[in-house]
Amino acid sequence: MPSWLGQAARRGLLTSRYPVAPATPAETPESARPPRPSGNSGVPVAAVDACPVRALEPSGVDDGKCIRCSRCLAHGLGYSGPVEASAATRDALVSRGSAPPLPAAKRAPLADFGRSVHVFLVDVGSCNACNLEVLALANPFYDTTRLGIFFTNSPRHADVLLVVGVPTEEMRAPLLRAFEAIPSPKAVVAAGVCPISGGVFAGNAGVLGPLSDVLPVDVFIPGCPPTPVNLIDGLLRAAGRSRPRGGA
Amino acid sequence: MTAAPWTVADRDPSPWETGPVAAYGARDGTLTLYNDYASGRAILWPGPAAGRASELVALWNRRGNAGRLRPVGPSEPVEGYGVFTFPYGPISMGVPESGRFDVRTYGERILEITPTAGFKDRGILAALVGRSVPDATLAIERVAGHLSAAHVSAFLAACESAEGRDVPTTELWVRALAQELQRIYNHVHVIARIAEAASQNVGLAQTHALAEEVLRLQAALFGHRWMFGGLVDGAALRKLGPRERDAAAATLRRLADQFEELWTLFLDSRTFVDRIQATCVVDRETALRWGAVGPTLRASGVPWDDRLRQAVPPYTDLYLELPKESDGDALSRVVVRAEEVRASFLLLEQLLSRWKGEIGGREPAAPPAAPGRGLARVEAPSGDLVYDVTVRDGTIRHVGMRTPSHANWPAFAVGLKGGVFTDFHFAYESFGFSFAETDG
Ligand code: SF4
Ligand code: SF4
Repeated sequence: MPSWLGQAARRGLLTSRYPVAPATPAETPESARPPRPSGNSGVPVAAVDACPVRALEPSGVDDGKCIRCSRCLAHGLGYSGPVEASAATRDALVSRGSAPPLPAAKRAPLADFGRSVHVFLVDVGSCNACNLEVLALANPFYDTTRLGIFFTNSPRHADVLLVVGVPTEEMRAPLLRAFEAIPSPKAVVAAGVCPISGGVFAGNAGVLGPLSDVLPVDVFIPGCPPTPVNLIDGLLRAAGRSRPRGGA
Repeated sequence: MTAAPWTVADRDPSPWETGPVAAYGARDGTLTLYNDYASGRAILWPGPAAGRASELVALWNRRGNAGRLRPVGPSEPVEGYGVFTFPYGPISMGVPESGRFDVRTYGERILEITPTAGFKDRGILAALVGRSVPDATLAIERVAGHLSAAHVSAFLAACESAEGRDVPTTELWVRALAQELQRIYNHVHVIARIAEAASQNVGLAQTHALAEEVLRLQAALFGHRWMFGGLVDGAALRKLGPRERDAAAATLRRLADQFEELWTLFLDSRTFVDRIQATCVVDRETALRWGAVGPTLRASGVPWDDRLRQAVPPYTDLYLELPKESDGDALSRVVVRAEEVRASFLLLEQLLSRWKGEIGGREPAAPPAAPGRGLARVEAPSGDLVYDVTVRDGTIRHVGMRTPSHANWPAFAVGLKGGVFTDFHFAYESFGFSFAETDG
């Protein structure tokens, strides 16, 4: 007789050990890392020209714009950047050459917060892939309750406003209401390139521009979409908690 | 080249109370696509929809008057003593996407529900004009990321038809591979959402885990969990050599067994079945009258699936059986989805076992592109998806689309009339809606 518990037991322990251990290859497909030029020679001009969202300059890569389309891979770049690519400032998402992004000097917004954080998700104009990656944090593979990261259905119980999608005109007012409803101290996390730079929708009619024009953003998580491990990294940063360096 | 998947009509076929049902209508009235469910054929009429068909087309093509918000279901205001409108959304508990539902009620029963879309309108289609086909594809992948394979396949097929390009069969096989994986993901996700609404927590965790494994397989084959960038010609990260193919086949066999076991447990679970049985009934007549598609249509007894209605490889060479349900309730829609998960596992097994040698990584030879207009449709997880693309000199001039969400909102709103509030989540999830693709 099949049973739920039997099913669960046969599946064994699925849960990730990240961030205690580095993320595994299964948790970090190519798209979990921003592209970087190979060697120290900077970004080739052909790659700069090939990038559809102008994420590349000869001097480096803007992780906040990169939609992971892979076009620059034919021109000397590879997905070799850090899995822990989140940052506390927009500037820190811009890498110079193959050096890592500047370390963020800003203090984590919820540093005094004790152990757990409650997260309220707001979709301001996403393609839904970001929403689903956030939902995936609850699946047995990631189970972020083990890290003290909880999702709440009410902004009044939240510490973190997690924003996915590109801010649209129609979502400005609902977004501001949600922000106001969260008690202080609170942190705003922009997940995915949509709220960071507009991503592939930058400049479209009806799109407001970066989230940081609307709200003060405390943590930026690049990716299109960020993978669950990228999201864990960014949420731990918002909570002022330690993360491993590097990754597998 | 394959045979045209529709017959061109020489007179307006739209008096459709008895006749064919509108499937797509261009905004400018230059063409209308019909499905004739009696004969199983699609009909293309080079003119505007008339009669009731024009109401459906107008609903799908509706734009917001002030701003971008617009009702996407029928709206016949119900009045009466103590009746008030309760707006639910755009940020609402339990619906992880932004959209609003205006509920007319006197307290418990839903007298009328009007889904209102447009909160996530990112102006995608208008912004495609002037872009090259490959650049436009990047945005099409992100119309609805969890439906990227269907959207990209339909969009590229429309472009290829517009430009008169021949597509190598291997590319069509790659698209089918991606679409069937994504169908499994989306159907399993629907089952997970319903398990969540029914507080079936152990089942939810197991189903959620299965969905995660599909995303990991997609990442292993395409370098990206949502297969973004994976369907363009010569995709850089596609890994479909014999080794990956065998590994994928083994993983799929394991996941198919897991799904069988899970699904048996769900069907045995009263908390699961009771909440969706007789919930939000869309009978055959309602489904046809309001132009419903996909599992919604098939759950009401109409056996239409684009994979079988269009002679497009590889589906022409594969065995596919359609599930048969006719009660039209949320349970029927979920059962259809579960049967389709099985069918997709079977399709993938056939695809992978007949797959010889390397597929993909091909550098596209660019044939001279002729200007023109192309229409294409694919069976997305929630139903028929239509793209209408005009291309000139390799540049997009116009894009129209009608997604399964557009087609199914009216049936949802009609089916939920007279229901109670606690039906809402079960009803909503059973249709597999996406506000992202509705808004564009
Ligand atoms: S992956 Fe695409 S978006 Fe990212 S830097 Fe390379 S070319 Fe630009
Ligand atoms: S960042 Fe990318 S994946 Fe996330 S919502 Fe935007 S387009 Fe979709």
